[in-house]
Amino acid sequence: MVSVSAQNIVKYLGRTLVLKGVSLEIKPSEFFFVLGPSGCGKTTFLRVLAGFLFPDDGRVFFGERDVTFVPPHKRNAAMVFQHYALFPHMSVWENVAYGLKLRRLPRGEIERRVREALRLVRLEGFERRLPLQLSGGQQQRVALARAIAVHPDLLLLDEPLSNLDAKLRAEMRGELKALQRQLGVTTIYVTHDQKEALAMADRIAVMHDGQVVQVGTPTELYRKPLTRFVAEFLGDANVWEGRVKSVHSDLVVVETGFGEVKCQPPSFAVSQGERVWVMIRPESVSVTTDRTEASNQPNTFPASIEQTIYLGEAVEILAKIGETSVKALHFRPEDGGLPNEVRFKFSPDDLTLIPYEVA
Amino acid sequence: MKSGSSSLPTTSPLSLTRSLRRLRYEYSPMTLNLWFALWFVFLGFLFYPIAFMLKGAVVYEGRFTLDFFALLLRDPQLADALKGSFGLAFTSTALTLALAVPIAYAMVRVRLPFKGVLNVLLLVPMISPPFVSAIAVRKLLARFGPINQLLISLGLVDPTNPPSWLDYPFWGIVILQVLHFLPIAYLNCVAALARIDRSLEEAAQSLGASGFRLFRTVTLPLMMPGLFAAGSLVFILAFTDLGTPLVFNYTRVIAVQVFHRVEQALEDPTGYAMVLLVMVLSILIFWTSKRWAERWQVQTIPRAAGETGERVLPMPLTIAITASILLVAFLAILPNIAVVLNAFADRWFMTILPDRWTLKYFQQLLVYPLAATSIRNSLLYSLASALLDIILGLAIAYIVVRRKAPLPQWLDSTAMLPLAIPGIVIAFGYVGAFANTPLDPRQNPALLLIIAYAIRRLPYMVRACYAGLQQVSEALEEASLNLGASPLRTFVKVTLPQIVPHLIAGGIMAFAFAMLEVSDSLILAFDQQYFPITKAIYVLANRLEGGVQMASAMGVLGMVVLALALAISTRLMGRRMGEVFRV
Repeated sequence: MVSVSAQNIVKYLGRTLVLKGVSLEIKPSEFFFVLGPSGCGKTTFLRVLAGFLFPDDGRVFFGERDVTFVPPHKRNAAMVFQHYALFPHMSVWENVAYGLKLRRLPRGEIERRVREALRLVRLEGFERRLPLQLSGGQQQRVALARAIAVHPDLLLLDEPLSNLDAKLRAEMRGELKALQRQLGVTTIYVTHDQKEALAMADRIAVMHDGQVVQVGTPTELYRKPLTRFVAEFLGDANVWEGRVKSVHSDLVVVETGFGEVKCQPPSFAVSQGERVWVMIRPESVSVTTDRTEASNQPNTFPASIEQTIYLGEAVEILAKIGETSVKALHFRPEDGGLPNEVRFKFSPDDLTLIPYEVA
Repeated sequence: MKSGSSSLPTTSPLSLTRSLRRLRYEYSPMTLNLWFALWFVFLGFLFYPIAFMLKGAVVYEGRFTLDFFALLLRDPQLADALKGSFGLAFTSTALTLALAVPIAYAMVRVRLPFKGVLNVLLLVPMISPPFVSAIAVRKLLARFGPINQLLISLGLVDPTNPPSWLDYPFWGIVILQVLHFLPIAYLNCVAALARIDRSLEEAAQSLGASGFRLFRTVTLPLMMPGLFAAGSLVFILAFTDLGTPLVFNYTRVIAVQVFHRVEQALEDPTGYAMVLLVMVLSILIFWTSKRWAERWQVQTIPRAAGETGERVLPMPLTIAITASILLVAFLAILPNIAVVLNAFADRWFMTILPDRWTLKYFQQLLVYPLAATSIRNSLLYSLASALLDIILGLAIAYIVVRRKAPLPQWLDSTAMLPLAIPGIVIAFGYVGAFANTPLDPRQNPALLLIIAYAIRRLPYMVRACYAGLQQVSEALEEASLNLGASPLRTFVKVTLPQIVPHLIAGGIMAFAFAMLEVSDSLILAFDQQYFPITKAIYVLANRLEGGVQMASAMGVLGMVVLALALAISTRLMGRRMGEVFRV
């Protein structure tokens, strides 16, 4: 299985600069995600890797091989398209066999591989159907089978689940991940759905406005975002502005609008007096109704609840600490509901500092 | 997308070598070669003849001169012909639209019985070769012809001194043109109406507009782009129509003047000047109407399918509207009926309908040398031009739709030029430009006729291919490339199979229209043994006894061919047929 190296990819579409020098290193057999909002350039990047777009600058390597000038049909990088792109005039079997026939494999081998691919996507018995006679989920599986049947060096997926209904999408996530593990093929998956990325990825690159903002494992990105954009794009986040009051070896004290909080030291250097963002995920906020707890305990603040939203497994709480809005998730909610006045506690480990920048 | 704080420039920073590699990467050698071949065809058979005429018109004995244009403009006969052509085109266009708009409105917006039948009836005149129907109508309108006989039997005119309709050739031509152009105008109006977002009209209704006021203030303005398009197309067709005025012996139009100068094309440069004048006027009209149409163009949101928006009117009104449309359709089909009657009539004199029927004129077609050769010639020419059109159209559409070669929009504009350049211009240019070359039409016009037919119908063919290619998602081609197929293989295995119906439909249409093409055929064919059908019809109709009937018999054959072609094409293209005939 190949590694993929994209080096400083620049791409204009018309007069619009869509990729502003994108560089990424993807390891062999990695399940790699490119995540970003629509218009961030992620699909353009994928199409450059597939060879459908010629980059205006930069190089693409598959392993040691420079494929920058190699036409798409000689890259052996199979793609699963967002709308599947199944050939409507060919049956399921013919669709899956298409790439194999081009590789001039012997008949028996083609037959074996088509069967294997259809078995992997659990579509045995549908060989003679036409794409239009299949449901959306089945079409999606055919597209996947067609791509994996050619044993590609690289599998490219362009929002493959975006046209499926919510339930099927959740099902396919697990299946795709298992399939990728089983095949061990280097896979690049483009999506705007952070849940998909967090659920399946080995590593994720977050793209924003034509650039890669951060690369890391799902936990790294979720717990230690490097920008406010990453923090907010990957899920709900409370982000407050603050000023560093003092820096210690094991913690940093930050003055926020509602008081002092103690945070774990960030991966970047901070100095006293510097402006920072403080981020905490709503589910990391501990909610307590215990009034006996000392009110001067560190990182604990009285909060008045403004609204609660019942979600089933949890209650979402919109509250104020002084003038500052805070969102919290309270799990295993009691039947009696919550009093209006509660206490929010922030563990230093859950408070992440983000370099301050004007959005 | 905002460029943000990026330090990169806002224009592409490609180095020269990178640009060259990019060209090599994005345009395959196959499409580049095609691209050069296409431009070669356009340069040789579209631009060169025009340039040749231009040179002939403004260069005399090695010097630049505008004398020929001056001569032309001072020539009273020509000024008269120009006036005549404009008058004819204005009258025909205005009347055509005046009929087409209300009919289209009723057909789209009102619930009518037998709509499908009405629709077919309205389109039938498309299959009538204007030329042959003109001959038939001339006969209908004769002093002691069927129409006067009918009027006499109804006691409406004096049997001893019936009116002589043919003394008013202008109105005869107008009537024929209006009836013949009605289908095209109707199709365009229907398309224009279908594009209107009904919620705009509903908004106007909720504000209190209704009836004619609603139509005048909202519907009509929204239809304007389509109306301009239809109007300009009809105008150019009427302005440069050669067949109908010829049959009515009406020389006060520019097309007939041009036709009469073909013989002296090489000696008399005023012919070139005249043709160029016609061309410039046509292009101006076309271009102006396009600009106007664009200015009126309103972005509308397509409405969800399934809602027809048909209104149910009271029964008497519905019947009245249906009857009116039927009447117009009947009038429009009348020339075709006349052709058929002529072809089968053994004796048709001083009676309303023929009193004896025969098949002998069809039998004569098989043995009469002029008829038999011309049919064989036309079949050959039309088949060849249809094949040529398929190849040209497919290549152009592929390059333009998929952006496979530089400057695709230039290729598109050039392919659409024949909509604006009248047939008489191209044909006249060929006669001059290819005189004394191996292609000289006076020796053997076959090749030039084939090319002229193909170029004339190219816009429709290219559009049929556009419609097909746009249906094939580009992702399918990418999927094929992605799986390892070369571009050529992808085209053959994935793209081509899906647009075959469009290709066949376009090809059949090109074939059928070539069979009945008038101006190229009349101008380019000099020698009897190379006559196509239309020129044979023209010659036959002016000849001795039975000529008109034989011409009509050939017309009937032509109508059958065209009707079959339209039916098959519509089958194949389905709902997208309308796109081909839109301007």
